[in-house]
Amino acid sequence: MMILEHEAKALLRSVGVAVPQGSLIKSPTRLPKIKSYPIALKAQVRSGGRGKLGGVIRVNNATALKAGARKLFNTTFGDEKPEVLLADPWLPFERELYLSVTIDGTAEGYVVLYSPKGGVDVESGTPPARYPIGPASQFRAQGFRAVLEKVEKDFQLREKLIFLAQRLVETAAARDCNTIEINPLVQLKDGSLMALDAKIVYDDWAHYRNSDILDQQKAERARADKYLRASLEMGHMYVKLDGDIALISGGAGMTMGAMDMIKAAGGKPACFLDASPGPTSTRGYKPAFQMLDADPSIKVILVSVFGGGTHMNRVASAMKENMAMRKSKKPVVFRLDGTYVDQVPAIFETFGAKNHPNLESAVKEAIKLARSA
Amino acid sequence: MSILLDQSNRVLVMGITGNYGKFFVTDSGGYGTTVVAGVSPGRGGTDVDGIPVFEGARAACQATQADTAMVFVPPPLVRAAAIEAIEAGCRLVVATADEMPVRDTIEIRAAAKANGARLVGPNSPGIISPGKAKMGFMPSFCFMPGPMGVISRSGSLSYESSKRLTQAHIGQTTVIGIGGDPIKGTTAAEAMALFHLDPETRAILYLGEIGGAEEAAVAAYASQPHAKPVAALIVGKTAPPGKKMGHAAAMVGSKADSHAAKTRLLAKSGVLVCKDLTDLVAQAKNALAAAA
Repeated sequence: MMILEHEAKALLRSVGVAVPQGSLIKSPTRLPKIKSYPIALKAQVRSGGRGKLGGVIRVNNATALKAGARKLFNTTFGDEKPEVLLADPWLPFERELYLSVTIDGTAEGYVVLYSPKGGVDVESGTPPARYPIGPASQFRAQGFRAVLEKVEKDFQLREKLIFLAQRLVETAAARDCNTIEINPLVQLKDGSLMALDAKIVYDDWAHYRNSDILDQQKAERARADKYLRASLEMGHMYVKLDGDIALISGGAGMTMGAMDMIKAAGGKPACFLDASPGPTSTRGYKPAFQMLDADPSIKVILVSVFGGGTHMNRVASAMKENMAMRKSKKPVVFRLDGTYVDQVPAIFETFGAKNHPNLESAVKEAIKLARSA
Repeated sequence: MSILLDQSNRVLVMGITGNYGKFFVTDSGGYGTTVVAGVSPGRGGTDVDGIPVFEGARAACQATQADTAMVFVPPPLVRAAAIEAIEAGCRLVVATADEMPVRDTIEIRAAAKANGARLVGPNSPGIISPGKAKMGFMPSFCFMPGPMGVISRSGSLSYESSKRLTQAHIGQTTVIGIGGDPIKGTTAAEAMALFHLDPETRAILYLGEIGGAEEAAVAAYASQPHAKPVAALIVGKTAPPGKKMGHAAAMVGSKADSHAAKTRLLAKSGVLVCKDLTDLVAQAKNALAAAA
């Protein structure tokens, strides 16, 4: 998961990376005393492209700070409103650079990316130079130096970049960051480097060995509504879409395959919901139904599970329990297949449900029901 | 033939006394997999359905000549168990666990490379050579032996697709789940290379999704002059950009990650691209016809 800029900068500062000495603003009515203007007033949001959406304002005095803060607190970036702003000193610099460490399959581990031209347009420019590393312990100064020599003429800067990049790679491994991106990394008048912005993406699955990740996950759940929160607590993966046919599915690829088929057959998928419960638990279906039943944009729920380790007799019994508990009248279409699917018809018969023989027929039925709802 | 796995693999189960381990012994043993040993620290000297349990992988390998490991321990413990099996001499290690920190996978992959071993997974259904052996929980009735090599980033999609092939009487040499994570024990490129060398694999079916660089590797293979025919299904056409679709690697972050870009690249490289799941069998048949 991505953390906010000021959180990322605090982490970088803790490992010796220079960052501006900024202050946090948590409300438009409680503004800090700024010693020296101008400052950069920055909305703290997770969505990308903040700069282009007007999320960074240059502020020259206290009056402008008040107006700027009110404006940023009231702007929605992507699908989020900032809960906090960062006021950084506006620093003069000589050059804007790009430096990041991320995970890359072809590198078999970490890769360092460097571009001699950083800033908001880095994605549309020349692709950055790549230094593939593998495990963090394989970072070699001479390896990155050879990559830098081709794109960066300033040898003193090169050595500073090597020293910084190694620390970023070590931090990525030690703190389970899948991405640490500094854009821009600026070179100040005295030649030193400073991270003017920072983006860090934590590895969610490392929560048991990094309390920061655990705290971020708790905060994410606290921001969600009660239905989504219950679903997240079961470990479900949920992405809301704009259609009316909700999907309870198992496995990411199969869920996407079903979404694609709904669209191709003329329907509109309402969500990606991977609710793989594992072979021993079917508790996860209850919060999934509660969330989808409460969503007024959803007309039909399609349950499509093709399980290996997930046993269909257990899923069918869980469906029976959930259907008895539900108050919603929204129709549910079932398509279960996989391990012990032969036991499904007998269980479904006891509560009058039908198991579709294939995905095509289940999708067709769901679309028909959505149209007549 | 098949790739990586058949009845001759002697399988050691790391975490054999847990629920997954026990079910695996019954299910996979019943399918034909040669399960010879298990490891469960503190339970050495006992057995699970007659399979001897050892304190550690080295003792297990020495006593039973195990050369392959199936890892069924909780995600935080997978790195330790997988590397223990590799260093005890296992040449193939299958780890199906999802919820694995990426750094752990990077380290297992590096340990495998240093020891001349191969990891399959994580976040994968495992691997099955139909009619011979399976390492994972895949529903056996979906598979039958035959000429198609199958590579999948997603478990359930590999079951769905294999069942469609089997119903159409198209059997499989091996179905390998390379997994949904950004770092893979075995990549699509490596799996393609293995299928290329297997004389009984006549064509390859690749099941991919949005995000990541695997599809570019599939395209690179298919554009080589002596490549075997490749059919591919890429899911996630309807996925919105910037959202992680369950799998850590399944996200449209850049233009190259999108369904449109991937299918265009694959088609340009001579891959038979399936329009959707319904089109899968037709393209698989076309790939086999092209191999004849």
